[in-house]
Amino acid sequence: MRPRNQTRARYPDETGMVERDGVHVAWERYGDGSPTILLMPTWSIIHSRHWKGQIAYLARHHRVVTFDGRGNGRSDRPTTTSAYDGSEFAADAVAVLDASQTDRAIVAGLSMGAGYALQTAVRYPDRVSGLVFVGPSVGLEDPMPNRRTVAFDEVPPAWEDWYLYGAPAWRRDWARFAEFFFRQMFNEPHSTKQIEDAVDWALDTDPETIITAEDAAYLPSVESAAAAERGRPSEPAALGYARRVRCPSLVIHGDADAITHISGGRRLAEALGARLVVLAGSGHNPLGREPVKVNLLIRDFIRRVERAS
Amino acid sequence: MDASRARLPDETGRVAGPDAVHIAYETFGTGDPTLVFLPSTPIIHSRQWKGQVPYLSRRYRVVTFDGRGNGRSDRPTDPEAYREACMVGDIERVMDATETSAAVLVGLCGDGVWRGIQLAAARPERVLGIVAFAPGVPKLSPPHPWRVQYSFEDELPTDEGWAKLNRHYFRRDYPGFAEFFFGEMTVEPHSTKQVEDAAGWTVDGSVDAMIADSEVDQTFDVPTIEATCRAVRCPMLLVHGSEDRCQPPSRARALAELTGAPLVMVEGAGHMIPGRHPVLANLLIRDFVRSLATSVA
Repeated sequence: MRPRNQTRARYPDETGMVERDGVHVAWERYGDGSPTILLMPTWSIIHSRHWKGQIAYLARHHRVVTFDGRGNGRSDRPTTTSAYDGSEFAADAVAVLDASQTDRAIVAGLSMGAGYALQTAVRYPDRVSGLVFVGPSVGLEDPMPNRRTVAFDEVPPAWEDWYLYGAPAWRRDWARFAEFFFRQMFNEPHSTKQIEDAVDWALDTDPETIITAEDAAYLPSVESAAAAERGRPSEPAALGYARRVRCPSLVIHGDADAITHISGGRRLAEALGARLVVLAGSGHNPLGREPVKVNLLIRDFIRRVERAS
Repeated sequence: MDASRARLPDETGRVAGPDAVHIAYETFGTGDPTLVFLPSTPIIHSRQWKGQVPYLSRRYRVVTFDGRGNGRSDRPTDPEAYREACMVGDIERVMDATETSAAVLVGLCGDGVWRGIQLAAARPERVLGIVAFAPGVPKLSPPHPWRVQYSFEDELPTDEGWAKLNRHYFRRDYPGFAEFFFGEMTVEPHSTKQVEDAAGWTVDGSVDAMIADSEVDQTFDVPTIEATCRAVRCPMLLVHGSEDRCQPPSRARALAELTGAPLVMVEGAGHMIPGRHPVLANLLIRDFVRSLATSVA
């Protein structure tokens, strides 16, 4: 299976490449309006096209900047785990803001992109004027019931369901895992196009890259050096960031999210003192499945931030 | 099922002809001219035009109606009620009831298109133009082989594939037939919503009406059909999908030849172009209606 080349509703007005420690990260800018909204990468299993439902609409009113997270799209695929630390994604975001001549931006993130957005806002508070979190996966959520897992490197008892989450299954059949995962992500009826798109983006990278990134310090506690703390976030880490956020924020979460339980969005909104919008019947990725709703929510949020400043 | 609608009608009503079969209609908007969207067989009702109504009613006046046998129209079980003359008469009765002296007709498939052509040939003053999607004027070319592979009347040893197009299967599993049929009609990927909608409209209707509609003895010979098509004087636009598994593209080409109407062949499209390619369909209709305005002026 090879990824298809898709046409776009809106093409970028400017593209560029930033380099940090030898890693190249590709960015795009759409529109000249104000303010700028920076659409963050998420887990590198997909790239910046996951914002395709937002870009064309938002760019008519605002200035939109996107970049491919390291590990996918037109960005490099570094081969060391620490290159995928959350702090690196945050530093990439700032490098992209610099390169696109953006002083400050509203920063939006989906799923793991929420953790990258949080770190950007806390580490570089002067650059972030507002935050939008969609289906945030920052470790505050209740675990999903009945999710069958084994250790990441262990050969699972069956090649199916959540047993497909692990290095052996990814090496064995990356497309199969991608298809399974995005079916969980887009669990609403009539999502075949969204699933097909996301599987294509997963095939733009490769299992070794995503395996390399797996143990990166996604969201280390604010005080600790990134390298000191590997693996998935502990609850206090996300709360520590949330408490330090000074800009307005918005949390959007689907109540049928089968990847990250909605309790994660609730707790993040509470910690931020942010408005939580619950999308009834929506799964983990309303960006793709409910673009009109999400776009209007983002538009209204941008207006509020603009009025306040 | 009563799904929410993007646009609710401004006016609804029912009108009956001499045979006392009531036809339910709806009107949307106040623009000019009026577009009348024609029904297909009782397999579906006027919600088949859901992709067209909200957009086109912003510019034009839109009239839709449920064909006999489905939706809010009556569901006669006497095959005589499904004669072409009755169905063509329904178009005129709905136009009268909505005070529409002349309209652009939009139809899909055999039933929609062929009846529009019959009205345009017989009453040219009432038809400003015709947009014909997947035109299936009968007998203009041989049918797709799978459509006539199995007997509709006989009990069959199989329920596989097109064997579902069978009166006995209809009685056993009408929803199963609908799901199969609209899967065939919508060959494009990512059509699960369109298939679910259409199969739902089938189930809204009555299997008895569907069978009665199939029993009426329609006696058109090829020379009559061709003469009727040639008699159309209003502008026409034909739109057909290259992958239409209901009406072969050869039928659209034959109709284009008989009428001189332009034919837009949509590569890769199946039978349900208005439902599956609503933006394309809407812009084609809009441009066609605009072209009428210039030719009249």
